[in-house]
Formats: sequence, C-alpha cells, structure tokens
Amino acid sequence: MLARIGLEPDDEDFYAEQLSGILGHIDRLQQSRLRDDEPRRSLTQEEALANAPAPVDGFFRVPAIQEEA
Amino acid sequence: MTADDLTELTIKEAARLLRLGSISASDLVTAHVERIERLDPHVKAFLRLTPEVWEKQVEESERRIREGNAPPLAGIPLAVKDVLCVRGVETTAGSQILRGFKPPYTGTAVARLFEAGAVMLGVTNCDEFAMGSSTENSGYFPTRNPWDLTRVPGGSSGGSAAAVAAGEAMISLGTDTGGSIRQPAALCGVVGMKPTYGRVSRYGLIAFASSLDQIGPFARSVDDAALVLSLMSGLDPLDATSSDRPGMEVLNNFGAGVKGMRLGVPREYYDVKGIEPGVKAAIDAALFILTRAGAEIVDVSLPHTDYGLAAYYIIAPAECSSNLARFDGVRYGLSEVDAANITDEYLQTRRKGFGTEVRRRVMLGTYALSSGYYDAYYLKAQKVRTLIKRDFDEAFKRCDAIVSATSPTVAFPIGSKTQDPLSMYLCDVLTLGGNLAGLPGISVPCGTSDGLPVGLQVLGPQWGENVVLRVARAYEEASETKAEVASVV
Repeated sequence: MLARIGLEPDDEDFYAEQLSGILGHIDRLQQSRLRDDEPRRSLTQEEALANAPAPVDGFFRVPAIQEEA
Repeated sequence: MTADDLTELTIKEAARLLRLGSISASDLVTAHVERIERLDPHVKAFLRLTPEVWEKQVEESERRIREGNAPPLAGIPLAVKDVLCVRGVETTAGSQILRGFKPPYTGTAVARLFEAGAVMLGVTNCDEFAMGSSTENSGYFPTRNPWDLTRVPGGSSGGSAAAVAAGEAMISLGTDTGGSIRQPAALCGVVGMKPTYGRVSRYGLIAFASSLDQIGPFARSVDDAALVLSLMSGLDPLDATSSDRPGMEVLNNFGAGVKGMRLGVPREYYDVKGIEPGVKAAIDAALFILTRAGAEIVDVSLPHTDYGLAAYYIIAPAECSSNLARFDGVRYGLSEVDAANITDEYLQTRRKGFGTEVRRRVMLGTYALSSGYYDAYYLKAQKVRTLIKRDFDEAFKRCDAIVSATSPTVAFPIGSKTQDPLSMYLCDVLTLGGNLAGLPGISVPCGTSDGLPVGLQVLGPQWGENVVLRVARAYEEASETKAEVASVV
C-alpha cells in the first residue's frame, strides 16, 4: 500500500521472491563499519556558554528575529 | 652544551640526551623559550606563548623520564598553529572575529602529541582562517622569514614554519588545504608534510575547506616529521573521515633508499609558468642526486594542471563560505549583539571581524554556490577535480612517486603580492593538486637560490606516506642538506 502500486494476485509471489533477493543484497549495508550512535559525555551547559558574548540565564542572547509590527 | 646547541637538536638527538640525563626537559624548554624571547620580536612567529601549559607538561615529562618510561616526544618543544583548538588556550584562526575564544576541548592531533609527551610552547601566527600563502593575511601582524626578515615565510602556516626554521621550536603543527604546510616549509628551509586526506583526524581543527584540509608536521629532519606524523595518525571516532589504517604504517620501509624506484617528473610542473631559474636549477641538482642514489627519473604528465587552480579557487571558497557561516556573533567570538535586528547583527559582526581575504573568499564561495551559477562553477569544478585525480592515477602507473619544486619562487618581499590576489593564488600551483586528489606530499630543503631556501616536493599515491618519506629521506641523506637553523640576527 505504501507505494500505491496495484498488483495482480499472481504478481505477489513473483515480486516477493525477487524483492527479498534484492533486499538480502542491500542488507550488506548493515555490515558496513559505522560507529554506533551512543550517548556520551558532551559539553556542559556552562562550557558551551563559556565563550558566548552575551549569555542570559543559561541561554545565548540574540537580537529579535521579527520586526516590530 | 650551550643554549643555542639545544635549539638546533632534532628529536632523535634530544631524546637520547634526555634519556641519558645529560639534559633535562626543563633545560630544553628553557633554551627554546629564551630563544623565542630573543628572536621572536623580529620573526613574529608566535601569536601567544603558553607557560601555563608548558610548565605542567615539563613536570610530567621529567617525572616520566625519571621513572624510565618516557614517551617518544617527552620534553620535545612544540608550536601549534592558531587553527588547532587547545582546551583553555586562546585560539583565534588568525582572526579578530575569534579574539578571546578559549576552546572547551583539545583537538585529536594535538591531544595525541600531548599524550606522546610533547611540550607546547605557544600558538603560531597564520593567514586568517588559513587563507593565504604569505601569513600577511593574519588579523594580527605579518610573520617574517627567519632567513631574510624583509621577506614572507610563506603561508598559511607561516608562523609554524618560521618557528622551526628559527630554532624557536623543535617541531610544529600546521594545516594544508592547498599547500599551506609544504609551501612555507619550502620558503623557510624546513621539512613540512601534508598527509593523505583522512590520515589525521580533523577534530578540533577550525575548518576552512573540509574536503581539502589536513593537519601535518613541520620539523628539521625527515625522521622527525615521520615520527610526529605516525604519532598523530589513525582512526578517531570524532572525525568520520579519519581512516582506521594504523598510524605506524607511514614508517614502513622508509629507510630503504631510492635504488630501483621510479620518480615521475610531470612536465607541467617542471616547466610551470613563473618558475624562477634558480629554483629550477636547484630542482635539477636534486634530480641528479636522486639519480646518483639509484632512482630512475621518468617523464609523466598531469594534463589538467592548468584547470586545477581554477577548480581549487571555486571549491575552497565554496566550502569556506559554508564553514564560516558559523561565525555569527551568537555563540562565540566577536559580537555586535546590540544591533537593531539579527541581520544587522550578522552584517556588523562579520564586517568588523573578517579581514579582506576572508571576505573576498566568502563572497566568491557564496556566488559559486548560488542557484543559477552552481552548475557552471561548483559542479564543473567538482568534475575537474575528478579529472585531476585521474591524472595522478595515470601518472602513478608509471612511477612510484612524483617530484617537483614545492613553490615556483623563493620567499618574496613582504607586500609584493598583497595588491594582486591572483598572483598570491599562483604560489600554490604546484601543491594544490595534491589536496584536490587527497594525496600525501612533503617538502624538503634542497639548496638555495639567491641565498634563500628552495623546497623539493615529493607526492605519493593515496596512503603512500611511507613512499613519500622514503624518497625524502633518501634525498636528505644523499644530498647531505640538513634543514639548518637560521641565525636571524
């Protein structure tokens, strides 16, 4: 349903077999050496703001981004 | 041993004396600091010194030497280019826009040298955001060539090259995006190496052009450059482009000499427009020495060399315009936070903070990337980049390494190219191909022309640092031209 392509009843097995072969091949991507997304220690709020020109209450201060009406 | 003797040592020599106990890490660092105090008012290689860092590192090195487990760079005086973040040390990329910026972390390459025992003396001057070939684009002051104070040291890593040439540091770090390590190494008569793209993690490097930038060492011998490179190379989870190849492989077989090696001389490099006769003569002499040492010189061609400069000056500014968008006056650096609205804040901050060359390149880059011009410029340049890489692939089928001059000229007088940006860009014509193709390259001193140093460039195939180092070392040995310390005054 996702692809919005209508299939004849006979087609379903035909495609199921072909596509699982292709997907099996594509699955190699899962084996490629990518780093796991793991949470790790990052900068503290204090460190992140240490170089800010105008920090206010733990935030970066910026000029208004909307013009006054 | 006099203080001057201590500032002329190589790592190998110093490490031996430190282990024997004939000198201490403190003697070594003090001798260098005294030399900086005496000479740097003339050379101006350093933007700032870091006693708070070196005092602790000297103590740590002395403790480890005493305990008999000294790491390979224990007590070795190191200078760091102003684009490499060191926790708590003001790092400004040679720009007023980052004045006062103290990074909350230390970049990987520097951290690895610290772990290996190196002692940081200070931060060296460079062209603003590493954009330039003379260090005259620094937002602070120009650096001078230690061999002739009226001339430039090259750039962008001019401070790092000058510091090593003047004996103010034993080794230093630079970055090379189009030649910014190799060209100043040539002009200052020291060894400078740009690794293969991906060899050294760029984490903690203030980015200029991310697909071209690499960090590399300056030293006064090929052995020292090789050692430093091996220690900072290797996989870093914090830089997805860093390779998992072991750092130590750069040393494989690198003392084996050039006997039986084929060295390619690209005719487009050999006869490059604007090459000075004295530079050409020095290169001819170097080729003769390499032949005598057993290498075979072969003629090769890099037919797209002419387009390389054009492609580079689209790709590098395009990437820089994107990378420098972060300097918005909000999170760090200079800020005109009281501007009426956010657009004015950006405009005022960047007008005040960026110098002429940086503004020029950001404008060039945004133009080349803008819709309507993207296909004609950026896309075309990327295709040319592929052609240049193929040129090198073809050449390396016929030779083991490529040799040429590093720079078409020797160090030029301060101010002589600042009014004509294109003439400055031409300084990199022999080096930027290596960046576009991601290749390793080194510059080693090969004699002089009019009393000024000339550099011999050796380029190798991707991951062929050991080949490059092998040729460079064989040349150094056969020619008996060791990088010397300039007496300056």
